[in-house]
Amino acid sequence: MNRNDGSSIEAVRLWVLRLFVMTRKELLQLGRDVPLLLFLLYSFSLSVYISGAGIAMQLNNASLLVHDGDHSESSRELIHRFHEPYFRFDGEVGDPKEGLTRLDQGTAMVLLDIPPRFRESIQGKEPVTVQLQVDTTNAPQGLSAAAYAARIVGGFSFDLALSRLGAALGDDMRMPVVDSAHRVWFNQDQDETWFQSISHILRMITLFAFLLPAAALVREKEHGTVEQLLVSPVTPLQIMLSKVLAMTLVILAATALATATVLKPVFGVPIKGSAPLFFLLTAFYSFTVAGLGLFAATVTKNQAQVGMVALLVISPMLLLSGITTPFEAMPPWVQTLMALSPLRYYIDITYGILLKGSGLELLWDSILAMVLLGGTLFGLGLWRFRRQFQ
Amino acid sequence: MQQYDRPSIRSVLSPQPSDTIVNVSGFVKRYKKDVAVDGVDLEIRKGEIYGLIGPDGSGKSSLMKAIVGVLTYEGGSIDVFGTRVDSERAAEQIKPKIGFLPQGLGLNLYPELSVEENIDFFAHLRLVPDEDLAERKARLLAMTRLERFRDRPMKNLSGGMKQKLGLICALIHEPDLAVLDEPTTGVDPVSRRDFWSILAELLEEKGMTALISTAYMDEAERFHRLSFFSGGKVLASGVPAEIRALVPGSIVTCEAHPQLTAIARLKTRFRQVESLGSLLRVFIDTTDESEAQSQIEALLGDLIPSSFRVEEAGLEDVFVALRLQKSESKEVSDVIADSATVHDRDGLAIEAEGLIRDFGSFRAVDHVSFRVKQGEVFGLLGANGAGKTTLIKMLNGILSPTGGAGLVAGVDMRMATGSIKERIGYMSQAFSLYLDLTVEENIRLFAGIYGLDKRSMSQRFEWIVTMAGLSGYESSLTDSLPMGVRQRLALGCALVHSPRVLFLDEPTSGVDPIGRRHFWEILTRLAREGNVAILITTHYMSEAEHCDNLALMYAGRIVAEGSPEAMKRQVEEVGGRLVEVVVDQPRRALMHLLQAGFHGTALFGTTLHVFCRDPLRDKARACEGLEGRGVRVISVKERPLSLEDVFVYRVMALERAEPSTKQEAAA
Repeated sequence: MNRNDGSSIEAVRLWVLRLFVMTRKELLQLGRDVPLLLFLLYSFSLSVYISGAGIAMQLNNASLLVHDGDHSESSRELIHRFHEPYFRFDGEVGDPKEGLTRLDQGTAMVLLDIPPRFRESIQGKEPVTVQLQVDTTNAPQGLSAAAYAARIVGGFSFDLALSRLGAALGDDMRMPVVDSAHRVWFNQDQDETWFQSISHILRMITLFAFLLPAAALVREKEHGTVEQLLVSPVTPLQIMLSKVLAMTLVILAATALATATVLKPVFGVPIKGSAPLFFLLTAFYSFTVAGLGLFAATVTKNQAQVGMVALLVISPMLLLSGITTPFEAMPPWVQTLMALSPLRYYIDITYGILLKGSGLELLWDSILAMVLLGGTLFGLGLWRFRRQFQ
Repeated sequence: MQQYDRPSIRSVLSPQPSDTIVNVSGFVKRYKKDVAVDGVDLEIRKGEIYGLIGPDGSGKSSLMKAIVGVLTYEGGSIDVFGTRVDSERAAEQIKPKIGFLPQGLGLNLYPELSVEENIDFFAHLRLVPDEDLAERKARLLAMTRLERFRDRPMKNLSGGMKQKLGLICALIHEPDLAVLDEPTTGVDPVSRRDFWSILAELLEEKGMTALISTAYMDEAERFHRLSFFSGGKVLASGVPAEIRALVPGSIVTCEAHPQLTAIARLKTRFRQVESLGSLLRVFIDTTDESEAQSQIEALLGDLIPSSFRVEEAGLEDVFVALRLQKSESKEVSDVIADSATVHDRDGLAIEAEGLIRDFGSFRAVDHVSFRVKQGEVFGLLGANGAGKTTLIKMLNGILSPTGGAGLVAGVDMRMATGSIKERIGYMSQAFSLYLDLTVEENIRLFAGIYGLDKRSMSQRFEWIVTMAGLSGYESSLTDSLPMGVRQRLALGCALVHSPRVLFLDEPTSGVDPIGRRHFWEILTRLAREGNVAILITTHYMSEAEHCDNLALMYAGRIVAEGSPEAMKRQVEEVGGRLVEVVVDQPRRALMHLLQAGFHGTALFGTTLHVFCRDPLRDKARACEGLEGRGVRVISVKERPLSLEDVFVYRVMALERAEPSTKQEAAA
């Protein structure tokens, strides 16, 4: 673009200067948008705390009703095994029908029905069944309640069998028993807040990295300021790059804020890997998503339309890339499709660096995929931007 | 007869003074701490067209919105149809009787809906019965000649057509009071004239009352009574003649060389001095012709004035004089610092060679060729949608032409590199600076973009602030500036890198007269002293007089070209001399004159402009005819053509020649 016959150093200096003044302009404009700043601040501080502390996928406090038809020592022992924090004993019902009504009303989640002559059957060595009715309107919670309950009942039955056999043989060590010994890695306390708070930050980074540059570009189109720029010696690359640079800086600052005010002090998330590497890759990721946002800005006419496109593009990314639900659980075709989602790789990178302490040697493939995707998206955005004015 | 000159305008009967429709007293409106309107009194009577005139931000819109009941206010009282508008409930009571057209081209309409759907929507909203709607719609569509475009989405209409549609939608329920906020800003002279005659006919026929604001001073003559707004206060109120009498004076035009010295000398005594091409235009506070001449001659000294003429002052001059009287010396600096770069006079600045641009099957620009020299001010005139903006965008490289070539400083703009782009400055039609940045930040941004180093940046910054009169505004947000100041800032930013060629697309739309005059002073000096070539478009024909050369565009083609004098001469050769006729019933008179074969007769405010091949014979013939029909002729005199006459004559002739228009007229 600079065919000046003079020194090419001067040309480069001018190019950098132009990029610099444009980037400064973006930051100034963002600084003037007080509501947006407040929203940004909230998203990377309080809102991270709320999701970390509030979102729990584990079974917690499931309301348990019991219809005990036996009222024996054995039935009480079984009931006592349904304990906190997973289940909350919410009282007994005299009639199973009453329990069902409570399930329908939604005031209870699990109904345990112990038949009459429960103890008698056990002692008489007859097989006996207990019934568990679970409200699985909220499928994940209901399913895990059922699974926990099955484990409890299984355990109860195993212990019963063991004690019976032990009594018969006199030495329980003769029993072949497979014991599962857990070694929990990376999150020894199995503290769910780590996962939830980090994944919330990823959501916010994705959202802002898409919307901020896209809105900034489409606003220039709406106000006609982009024409003023096109008539000047600023190139389309500089116009787009300056937005990405400015917004990436803002996102890095916001991520640092979230890490310093919520992740470490409140939830005690360890940063096991290299923090500079994490921020560098966060910058790459913002750049990638910004490319997507700028592409969206070139095919839309106003900020409302950009908002719609953001919903369309961002929601599947957030839902299907593996922060909301386990990636492995998704159908193969969704997994294949999600290879196109930069978030997919960024998730691996983030959890890898923050929780596992992985470095480049482990993450290089994810990084490569993300950078390739980012370069392609940005190039596509630039190409559209150049074209739309011709 | 061409449908164009729909005869109309105002009824001559003065309205009954007793029927007060709107009574405003001591009205105060504040936005947070800013006082927008400060103690305004106003009375609008039944059947009159009341005008609000004044610069942007003087409080006109606030007052109008309060009257229609959509804006609360802080002080005073407003009574409409005898109801005190002080609560939501009171506002709901009067709303059915009011039609409101807010400011901005087509802002009250729905761009995706067609013409007919828009009308239907507003009619249904107002619960107009179906049979009434069908009848009114047919009539209004015929009257505004929008029939053909019934199914066209509103967003594809030209500016003038949008405003006509807006008018239909605002009046479909036949309100008793029509409140129209700057309905003609940004609309070309012919469409504007058309809009006014339709409006006047509707108002008269239905006995409606209207409150209308405008930024065009020439439209002020069409009001029964009017108020001059300035800074939230009323400077003067009354019928046009009363207001003119407040500042008695006349306009002197003459030629003197060198022009800039002459201007400097005249400015020592008179505050309203302008240059119009080679002519000087001075407002003198005397109505005596010889007195005026001797005053001017005394000031000019050894510069002998030629082609001396004295005319009656227009309302615009009166308004400027009034403003200057009140505002003491708050005038913006008229000193342009010397650091302005002087460019070479040699060579062509702009060359358009058979430029064509198609949008789909629509040809927006059709084989346009013209040349502009360094140091020349070139004006591009034409109706909305004639292709002016597309042409400018092709010349500065935003749009690529379908055919032909546009050269700037000898280089094809399609191939433009950074170094070529540094030679041009551009001010687009819509204000295109950053509203959320301050004045200083905007200037520094563009200085940085054009690669100015620190020292030249601060030099240029000083120069722009002085030149554009921005001192005191440096750290204000651009969003908070009045329109006139914004436009000067935009000009400043377009000049930050001392370009050789300047493109200005309607830079003065919506700017008040004083702001416009100041703007033109800057442009004239840039061209005369700095040899900058300027290509400008405008809808103000009084501004076109400032240009060295003009081109008139119609449907993408250039249909007339030349200096303002040459353009006038061309029309005189084709159409004849211009005679101004003042009568008591302009509408009847116009009908008669058109029937009698005086083609090109048009209504200007309340007077008729008639083109005569043989003035002496035709004057007598016209007068006899008019008197014979009971029209009293008050005065008849020859007058020089204005560019507005030229524009209207040319465009009307072209519209007449167009086959589609012919069919319509026949239908």
